[in-house]
Amino acid sequence: MKIVFLTVYFLTLFCSSLFASPQVLNLGNGTEPRDLDPHTVTGIPEFQITQNLFEGLVGKDPKTLEPTPGVAESWKISKDGKTYTFKLRENAKWTNGEPITASDFIYSWKRLLDPLTASEYAYQGYYIKGGKDFNQGKLKDASRLGLKSADPYTLEVTLENPTPYFLSLLYHHSLYPVHQATVEKHGMRWTRPENIVSNGPFSLKKWKMNQVITLEKNPSYWDACSVKLEKVNFYAVEKSETEEKMFLTKKLHATATVPTEKIAPWTKDTSGVLKRHPYLGTYYYWINVNRAPMNNPLVRKALALAIDREKLVKYVVKGGQAPAESFTPPGTGGFHPQSHLPKDSSRVAEAKKLLTQAGFPDGKGLQPIEILYNTSESHKKIAEAIQQMWSENLGVQATLYNQEWKVFLDTQHSKNYMVSRAGWIADYNDPNTFLDMLTTGNGNNHAGWSNPAYDLLIEKAAKELNPKKRHEIFQKAEDILLEELPVIPLYIYTRIYLLSPDVQGWFENVEDVHPLKYVWMK
Amino acid sequence: MSNSLWTDALYRLKKNKLAVLGAAFLAFEMVFFFLVPLIWHLGYEVQDLEMTFAAPSISYWFGTDSLGRDLFSRVIFGGRISLTVGILASLVSAIVGVVYGSIAGFLGGKSDNLMMRIVDILYALPFIFLVIILMVYFGRNFILLFVALGLTQWLTMARIVRGQVLSLRHKEFIEAANSLGIRQREVVLKHLIPNTLGPVIVYLTLTVPSVILEEAFLSYLGLGIQAPLASWGTLIKEGVDVMDLAPWTLFFPAFFLSATLFSLNFLGDGLRDALDPKGARD
Repeated sequence: MKIVFLTVYFLTLFCSSLFASPQVLNLGNGTEPRDLDPHTVTGIPEFQITQNLFEGLVGKDPKTLEPTPGVAESWKISKDGKTYTFKLRENAKWTNGEPITASDFIYSWKRLLDPLTASEYAYQGYYIKGGKDFNQGKLKDASRLGLKSADPYTLEVTLENPTPYFLSLLYHHSLYPVHQATVEKHGMRWTRPENIVSNGPFSLKKWKMNQVITLEKNPSYWDACSVKLEKVNFYAVEKSETEEKMFLTKKLHATATVPTEKIAPWTKDTSGVLKRHPYLGTYYYWINVNRAPMNNPLVRKALALAIDREKLVKYVVKGGQAPAESFTPPGTGGFHPQSHLPKDSSRVAEAKKLLTQAGFPDGKGLQPIEILYNTSESHKKIAEAIQQMWSENLGVQATLYNQEWKVFLDTQHSKNYMVSRAGWIADYNDPNTFLDMLTTGNGNNHAGWSNPAYDLLIEKAAKELNPKKRHEIFQKAEDILLEELPVIPLYIYTRIYLLSPDVQGWFENVEDVHPLKYVWMK
Repeated sequence: MSNSLWTDALYRLKKNKLAVLGAAFLAFEMVFFFLVPLIWHLGYEVQDLEMTFAAPSISYWFGTDSLGRDLFSRVIFGGRISLTVGILASLVSAIVGVVYGSIAGFLGGKSDNLMMRIVDILYALPFIFLVIILMVYFGRNFILLFVALGLTQWLTMARIVRGQVLSLRHKEFIEAANSLGIRQREVVLKHLIPNTLGPVIVYLTLTVPSVILEEAFLSYLGLGIQAPLASWGTLIKEGVDVMDLAPWTLFFPAFFLSATLFSLNFLGDGLRDALDPKGARD
C-alpha cells in the first residue's frame, strides 16, 4: 500500500515538475451553469465543465474528433453493428477511490432514461434497446434494457438499430457515468463541491455562484500523468465586453465570445488571438405552436419569411455567419439540406400574402408577438432588429423581454413563452443531432410541436444505413420543418472567441470541443 | 390674501443663480422634449442597418447607434421616459408619504407608534425585491413601473412630514384653530399640510434623480423599459459597451442625464435655502 502511495506521489511530482509556468487556465464560461449533473443539464456552459469533470466510455481526439479510449480501453462491434462490447480499464477510479465498473454505467444510463429523472436529453439513450419504451413508461422492467455485464469490467450494449455514430455519441454528457451512492445520498445537492464524486481528469474544487467554478487536476484519474493543467477556473461572465476586458488584462486565457461590435477591430489585429472557425450550430427562434396566434402555421411562415437574414447577418451579427435557410447547418455529417423557401426578393410579398390569408391583413387584429431571450446584448440586438423587420414588412408588433439563463431555461421548458431565442449545437457530427430533437415529446422539443409524418421519417432514418438514402429522408424531414416552422432558423453559427497564445494543445474544430486533458500552458 | 412666506421664498430663490439656472434648464428640457418629436423627421425606433454607428452629422445630429437608429431622437424619447418616470414616481411618493406622515403625526400616541413601526419594517425590506415582486406578479407594465418606484420612495417622505407635523401640532395657530372648533380634517388639510410643504418640495427634487437612477437599474435587469423604447439609463448602458468605437453613443445620453441631475440638485438646494432661511446658512 505504501509503495503504491509513494509511486503515485512521485508520478505527480514528475508530471508537474516538467513545466516552469504555472499550469492554471482561466476560461470565460459565458454564464453560470444551471447545474453540473451530466444527466439533467442541456447547455454549452454546462458541457464545457462536465466534459472535464466526468469521463464517458470514450474520449474525443481534439484534432480529428475521433473517439479515443476513455473508461473503456477497447471495444468490439458485432457484425450487424448492433452490439458493442466495451472492455473497461481496471485502473479507472472515482475520486473517492472506488473502481468504475460496468454496473456504474448501467445504473447511470438507467437513471438517464428513468422518467423520474425527467432528463431533457433522455432520448440520447433511445439508441439502447428498449430505451425509448423504458423512458416512456411502456417498459417497466429495467433489466430488459439492452445493457449487460458479464463481469465488472465488460459492458455489452445492444442497440435498437445499427448506429454508425454511436461511439462519438458516447462523448456526450448525457451518457457519462455518475456515482450511485453519492446521487442517492445527496439527491439534488450531489453536484456540490463537498458532495460530488466524479471520474474525469479534473475534480470540482470550488463553486462560487455567479462567479467562478474551479476544477483541480484529479490525481486518481487513470491517465493523470498526461494531464498537465493543475487548475482550471471557469468564470461566469455574462457580458462579453467584461470578458474582453478581462482577456486584455490577462485575467482570462480564453473568452466565451467576442462583443459583436469588436469583431471588426479584432480582425485587424495581427497577433492571432482572435479565433474564428465554422461551428456546427444554428441560431433560431422557438415558436410555441400551441399558443395563439402562433398555432396558425400561416402566421408562423409569414413571420419566418419577413426576416431578412442576409441583412441580419451582415449588419447585426457581424461575425461572418451564414444566413440559415434550413435547420441543419449545411455539411453536418456530409448532409447539405436544400431549402424551398422563396428567393429573397419575393419573400416579403409572400409573407404579406400569407398573413392576409391567416386573417390578419397588414398585421391588423394580431396581438403583439412576445420575443423572449436570455440576457445578453447580442441577443437583444438581434431581437430588436427582427422586431423592426416584422413591424416594417408586416405591420406586426412585437414586444421583447429577457430573463437570466436559469430562469430562461425553465421558461422554455415549461413552454411559458410565445417566441424564444435558442441555439442548437451538434452533439455529434450527424444531421440526426438537429432533427431528432423535434420529434413528438422529445425533452428538448420546446415548441410543443408534433407531426407523426416527421416522427416516422426520423425513425426511418435511424434504420437506414445507406448514407445517400438516409440524407434523402432527412431532406424530407427538413421540408416538413420549413413548411410547419416550429422553429425559425436565423443563422448558422461561426465560432468567434479570443484565445491567448500561451494556451497549448487547443485545436479549433467544428464541434468546438476542447478536452482540457490535452491542454497545457506555455 | 398675501402669503409672505412664498413671496419671500421666491425672492430668495431668484437670487440663487445656480438654482435659477437649474430651473431654467429643466423648463427648457420639458418644452424641448415634448415639442421636438412632433417635428423631427426620424423616429426613435426606425433602424437603418446600413448606417450603424454613424458619427454625428447634419442628418444625424447625435450620430446613430448599433442598429442605425437616430441617437438624437432616442435621447429625446429617453428623456421623456426618464423625466416622466422621475416626476410621476416622485408625485406618487409625495402623495402617499404626505398623507401617511401627517396622519401619523397628527394622531400621535399609539397610532403614530404603530404607523411608524410599519414604516420601519418596510424600510428594512430591500426596495428592489418589492419592485421585482410587483413587476413579476402584475406583468411588465409601464404605468406599474412608476407606481412601484413611487411606492418604494414614500417612506422617507412620511418620516419627514411626520416630524414636521409633530413640531407644528402644538404651535399657537393650531391651538387657535382647535379652540375655534374647526374639524380635525380641516386642521390637517388647511393648516398642517401647507406648512410642511417646504421640506416636501425640497425632498421631492432629490427623489426625482434617485428614481431616474433606479429605473436605469431596473431596465438593466430587464424589468424596466423594454426595447425599442429606451430611457437614459438603458442608452448609457448601451453606450458604455461601445465607448471606444462610438463615443457619442455614451456622451449624449450621459450629458443629458448628468445635466438634469445637477439641475435638480441645484434647484433642490436653492429651494431648501429659500424655504428655510434660518437653517443651512452659516
